[in-house]
Formats: sequence, C-alpha cells, structure tokens
Amino acid sequence: MSARNRELVGLIPASLLVTAGFAGVFIQRSNVLSNVSLTYGAIFLGLCVAGHILIRMTLPRADPYMFPLVALLASFGLVMVYRIDSTLARQQAQWFVLGLILFAATIILFRDYRRLERYRYTIVLVSLGLMVLPRFPGIGYSANGAYLGIRIPGLFVFQPAEFAKIGLVIFLASYLSDTRQVLVVGARRFLGVTIPPIKHFGPVVMIWGVAMLILILLHDVGSSLMFYGGLLAVLYVATSRISFVVVGMVAFALGAWYLGTHISHIHARVEDWLHPFDPRLYASPLGSYQIANGIFAQAAGGLFGQGFGQSTLVFPGAKCCLIPNPGTDMIYAIITDELGLFGAAAVLITYLMFVARGFKTAVMARDSFSTLLASGLSAMFALQVFVIVGGVTRVIPLTGVTLPFISYGGSSLVANFVLLALLLLTSDRARRPAQ
Amino acid sequence: MTLQPVSVGLKFGFLIVLYLFLMWVAWSALRDLRRGSGVVQSDRAPSPDATGMYSAESGFGDAELDGLDPRLLVEHAPGHEPGMAYELGNGAMLGRGDVEIKLDDPFASSQHARIFREGPVFVIEDLGSTNGTYLNDEPLNGPQPLHPGDRIRIGDSEFSFLQ
Repeated sequence: MSARNRELVGLIPASLLVTAGFAGVFIQRSNVLSNVSLTYGAIFLGLCVAGHILIRMTLPRADPYMFPLVALLASFGLVMVYRIDSTLARQQAQWFVLGLILFAATIILFRDYRRLERYRYTIVLVSLGLMVLPRFPGIGYSANGAYLGIRIPGLFVFQPAEFAKIGLVIFLASYLSDTRQVLVVGARRFLGVTIPPIKHFGPVVMIWGVAMLILILLHDVGSSLMFYGGLLAVLYVATSRISFVVVGMVAFALGAWYLGTHISHIHARVEDWLHPFDPRLYASPLGSYQIANGIFAQAAGGLFGQGFGQSTLVFPGAKCCLIPNPGTDMIYAIITDELGLFGAAAVLITYLMFVARGFKTAVMARDSFSTLLASGLSAMFALQVFVIVGGVTRVIPLTGVTLPFISYGGSSLVANFVLLALLLLTSDRARRPAQ
Repeated sequence: MTLQPVSVGLKFGFLIVLYLFLMWVAWSALRDLRRGSGVVQSDRAPSPDATGMYSAESGFGDAELDGLDPRLLVEHAPGHEPGMAYELGNGAMLGRGDVEIKLDDPFASSQHARIFREGPVFVIEDLGSTNGTYLNDEPLNGPQPLHPGDRIRIGDSEFSFLQ
C-alpha cells in the first residue's frame, strides 16, 4: 500500500471513533440511538479526506501517519468537548474547520518552508510582541492569576503563546543552523564537561530570558516550562552538548525556585500540588479543589472507564462544577474517568507516536534547518502534553496549557494545525529522493 | 435503560478500534524501519545525524567524521560528469588555474575560492573572484562554515558539500 493510501485508510478509524463516541453520548443524554452520530462521523470523515487530498496533491511523500494520528486526537477532542458542553463543541467544530483551512494555507504558502529562515528576526520579534500583549490593559485578560490571552470584546479571544511557540522554534532553528559550529569550536573541557566560551552562551541566555519573561510578566508557569524545554532541546540537537542542557536546567531550577517562593500565585500552585487533600487548601478559593477532584475522577475511571457521558461533572442542584475547567485543563481527567486507564493510555500512546514520527522526520531531514525545526516542533509538542497531563496527574504543579488537538480552545487547535503543516512539509522534503 | 448494553458495547468498541488503529500504525512503522526506511535511497542520503556535530568532540583532524569523507559532489559543471565527487581531505582550492578542483567555466577566476578545514568544520571562502561564489544561492561574503547538503555555485558550475 502506498504511503498516501495508508494515510487515507488511517482516517477511517478516527471517523468511526467520532460516530461511536457521539452515539455513546447521545444514549447517555437522551436514551436514543440517533443516526445523527453517523452524520457527524461522515462530516468528520469528509473534512479529513479534504485535508488528505490536499496532502496528496502537494506533499506526496510526507509522513503518512501524522495526519491520521492528529485526526484521532481531534476526534477525541470533539467527542469529549461535546460531552462536556454542546455549545462549546459547536465552536470547537468551527475551530477545527478553521484549523484545517490554516493548515492548507500554510502548506500552500510555505511550500518551500526554508524561506522562513529569511524572515527569522521578523518572526521572533512578532512572536515576542504577541506574547507580551496579554499584559496590556484593555485587551489582556487573566485566568487564575496568569495572563494568558487577549480578548477583543465581541470579536475573539486569542492565546498568543500558542502561535509564539512555533515562531520561536523557527527562529532558534534558523539561528542555530548558522551558528552552531561557533558554539562548539573553541570549547574548553573542565572536569570532563565541555564548557564553551562565555560569549557563546548567548542563545542559552536568550532562551532563559524568554522563559523568565513569561514567568515574571505573564505568571504562566506552564508555557514557560514548555518554551524553555523545547528551545533547550533545539539547542541540544544543534550542538550535542549536554553541558548546555545541564547549565540550562540549573538556571531554570534556580529561577523557578525563586519565583515559586516569592510570587504568591505560583507559590499557591506549588502548595496545591504538594498537599491536594489538605482540607484547608481544598476549601480555599483557587485551592487544590480542582486537582483533588481531578484525581478522584481518574480513580473512578478504573480500567475501562464508566462509559461516555457517565462522568459526574456537576452535582445535581449544585452551584458550580465538580471539576472546574473540564473542557480545557481537566479534559484528560474526564477522558480517564469515562474511558478508563486503557482510554487514557491510548491517548498518551497516540501523542507518543506523533512525536516519534516528528523526531523520525528530524533524523531523516537532510539540512540542519529542517532537522532543528522538526525536532524543535516535536519537542515543544511533547512538552505541552507533558505539562498538562503531568499537572492533571500530579507529577508537576498544575498549570494551564491545553492538551493539543483535544482541549477546547481555538488558538490552540489552529496553532497546532500550523505545527502539523510544518512537520508535514519538513517530512515531505526529507523523504524526497535526491534529483 | 434499555440501551445500556449498546452503550457498554460502544465503549468497548471505541477502545478496540482505538487500539487496533494504534497497533496498525506501530506495525507499519516498524515494517518501514525493517525495510531500511526504503524511502530515501540514494548516496545523498544524510548521515544519520544531519546536524552532524558529534565529530566536534572527537578532537581535531582525525577522520572519524561519521565514517564518510568530506567531499564535493558535482551537480552540474562544464567539463565534469554530474555525480562525480572530489574528496576534500584537509581543504582544496577551486578555480580555472592550476588548482586542486579545476573549473572549466568561463565565469570562474583562476583562483576563485578555497575550502579549508578548521578543526572539525569545513569553511569556504571566496578569494576575491570577479563573479563571486554563491552558497545556497546567497552571495558569499567572507568565510562561511559548510553544512552537509550545502550547495556551492560558481558561474555555471554547481557542487554540493557532503560529509
């Protein structure tokens, strides 16, 4: 079977999942087996096939598994968001279509994505500018103490960090593909660790600066960790110097420790993480209520879950929700509740496979910009999953980033489709036989 | 509650389809791997690490550069067979005159450009030629490090750097 036909076949299970998922939710909600779920599945399949035809025409050699894996994640997202709130799901479906349109636009406009290298300084300035926008009064808004997005009333809400992550990876990949030699040549060895000359720590300092800027200005621990880890990964791939990673980690740990003890909202997050079942924290506003209930929900899921629509999100007659932010931050907990350990593990395996395909693309790429771009985007994507799943499962303090392609959220969905387009462009080029 | 069994069936059906799909992806990816990833089949396939910096640690001047000698591959050049390659050793001069890599090109100067080695890195430098040297279609100003896959153009002659 050719690569493109494999991609087409791979879209069928994702559409089946949409049908099965919606049917399950309908039964739970109104006890009918409605054929509307078939319609939804067909529409989803139609949209995915449209995306597939575009790939078939423009990127015939691109990785055949990435698009079906993303379709699978998106089908999870649509079903779960619908199950949580049907109004949100309608918007999510619109965002999905818009995401596909932007996906197509990226592929058509940046057919030769290496043109991006030429605009690297523009890209990085726009990215950084976008990122500090939420701090401006009037358009910025904050959630739980973190400045996450900009809101233009009546028009849209927009989370710039989602797009900035792509811009920063493009910049760093392009910058390092030119200068990585300099970072390595002239290094001294001290106690078995290679130490480059001080002046060449410039990129590390820049990355560290970006991460700290996000922390200090925006109070957004999740994005900060994601950016820092992703950019450090690019630096490591470019230089294969573990010393950069070690120095970077230590610097981040120091910064995080300082901010964790000195900024009250971050300190509260750390306390919630360490003692989620402390009755005092559980009852306090912005306390560990969310985290603790998320853990109860995951435990209730058991091995195979309670089934679609069976998770208790709101107590009958209660004022607010049992699990706050079910559609964004806590969606992983709801998936675990309704599909159990097996369902949750499948989600993680899907992410793992997607990231593995991304790194495979990086390995196959023939020029250093492509290698760095693919590995940076994959690392950033993987870290985003780690930050939110780790937060929900109490591996790290819970911070609000979205679960890519699954969580409700327009910017996230659209930006991740752009990320997918860039990875497919890179992989098409990497697999093209030399002329 | 008559539809309860259907609901349970759907849940397990969902999980089964999900896992079958994931197994299919893993299995096909594995088969690709066994076939030696069969897609890129050419001697221009990259060294496993396209960033190729592992060599930088292994000291200077020794030929541990991923087992492949650095060389210039002729893409197209007057008087040269496309596909032939020049080994670079520790450096080479390009030009129309009496140099290592002779260019049969009216646009080349007699001593046009030189490639030399600085530790593990190969550097290209234009020697004040009349018509200039192009690295990846950008005119060369001053010495530039070469990366595997870089294209060097002088007049109508084009080479790519492999390592």
